[in-house]
Amino acid sequence: MAAEKVDAGPQVDPFEAFRGMRDKYLESMSKVMIDAVNSEEYAQATGAMLNNYLTLSAPFREALDKAMLMALEQFSLPSRQQVTALAERFTNLEMRLDDLDAKLDQILKSLSANRTPVAEASPSTRRPTSSDAKPVNQTNTRKGQKSI
Amino acid sequence: MTPVAATSNNWSALEQKLRTFNRLLTTKASIGQTPKDLIWTLNKAKLYRYVPVVPAQAGHRVPLLLVFALMNRPTILDLRPGHSFVEYMVGRGYDVYLLDWGVPGPEDKNLKFDDYVLDYMTRAIRKMQQISGSNEFSMLGWCIGAILTTIYASMRPDDGLRNLLLLTAPLDFSNQRELTFARWTDEKCFDVDKVLATFGNMPGEMIDYGAKALKPVENYVTNFCKLWDNLDDPRAVESWHAMNTWVTDIFPMAGGAYRQLIVDLYRNNRLMKGELKIRGEFVDLKRLRANLLNVIAEADHITPPCQSEAILGKVSSTDTEIYRIRGGHIGIMAGSSAHKHTWPHIDRWLGARSD
Repeated sequence: MAAEKVDAGPQVDPFEAFRGMRDKYLESMSKVMIDAVNSEEYAQATGAMLNNYLTLSAPFREALDKAMLMALEQFSLPSRQQVTALAERFTNLEMRLDDLDAKLDQILKSLSANRTPVAEASPSTRRPTSSDAKPVNQTNTRKGQKSI
Repeated sequence: MTPVAATSNNWSALEQKLRTFNRLLTTKASIGQTPKDLIWTLNKAKLYRYVPVVPAQAGHRVPLLLVFALMNRPTILDLRPGHSFVEYMVGRGYDVYLLDWGVPGPEDKNLKFDDYVLDYMTRAIRKMQQISGSNEFSMLGWCIGAILTTIYASMRPDDGLRNLLLLTAPLDFSNQRELTFARWTDEKCFDVDKVLATFGNMPGEMIDYGAKALKPVENYVTNFCKLWDNLDDPRAVESWHAMNTWVTDIFPMAGGAYRQLIVDLYRNNRLMKGELKIRGEFVDLKRLRANLLNVIAEADHITPPCQSEAILGKVSSTDTEIYRIRGGHIGIMAGSSAHKHTWPHIDRWLGARSD
């Protein structure tokens, strides 16, 4: 009988009151914390902490870098700086290739624009339309495109 | 139901909630799923074209290029099926392109706004123009992407840019009292050169901490309490999981660009003053003539509205609009009501200017 009464009645959530208290607490804490992080003191304290960390860790990082450089040299492996310089050169090459690619496209476009009326007219005696001169197709996949 | 059975049920419900909670925190949701083709790459940058779903004749003629910030993945624009800005715009007949900056490596520490705008954006746009067959295009810049697109629009006003959409654009840094980031990165407190000399690029963890520390209780406590409270709601859980996957995918920002952001913009407000130099050329906002929609999030704590409002008074565009919307920095585009307010407004504005 008692169980039936529990099922029929409204569900009581024992944590509802706790949740309400929690939300009010978090709300007030949020305001306090936002004011705190907005203060000049917070900015100076975090700045000082970061500065101290960078200063204190610098000698260890330098020692590690030197040791690593020596080890890489011993193994005849390129250093990070050398790999980085190589990557930068690759990017420059990529840019040049991209420019060449664009120029080539432009040349092909103007060539096809010049040729289209002659090539199209002779076999089928069809008059060239404006769509024939469109530089690129509107389909989803082009040669060289990679589908994701 | 007996008290024993009820207790047992409660325990199994609690166990289930704990399992779900653990899964959400330890797994990644599938985000950025709208079908797309990779059409161009340069270094880490990639340009994607989303597969159109509307026939070309029925769609808009002017393509749309999306440019997101440098320190987060652009997948926020394509969060999950059924709740994706990209999917929405593709469905509305736009030819949508996305410029993904990629993750900078140690070799990219010297990359600056100069490189991103004049080397990467110009080439990506050239490719987009070639693929789309349209010289005219629209560009949407969000957050730091809005800085880059504004610089591009001012420096290359004759290259076909017809419509410029700025979302939560941090362009004006004059109101220093409103800007917590400005306080934190003031030269009295923060030695940007020392940080970059140590790390090369600005570590993603530090950027992430900076963004979360603006509202520490919300980001570190309330966020998880709300998730716990909503674990029984599959839609809320799915949404949280996707957003958390995006938020936790952090990576560094190229050192050169970060230094410009702090020194040139946060500390000296050079863009608004007309003193920002990109490859030796001053960026003159007066040269920006594209139609301009400026979307401002009224509750944005990362880019307060005061940072985005002044741009309209500086440009030469005659067709301009400010669209203010309630919401935060990310919420206006990826929140649960974005598809009811922000996206339709962008579509209406852009649709009228894209044929």
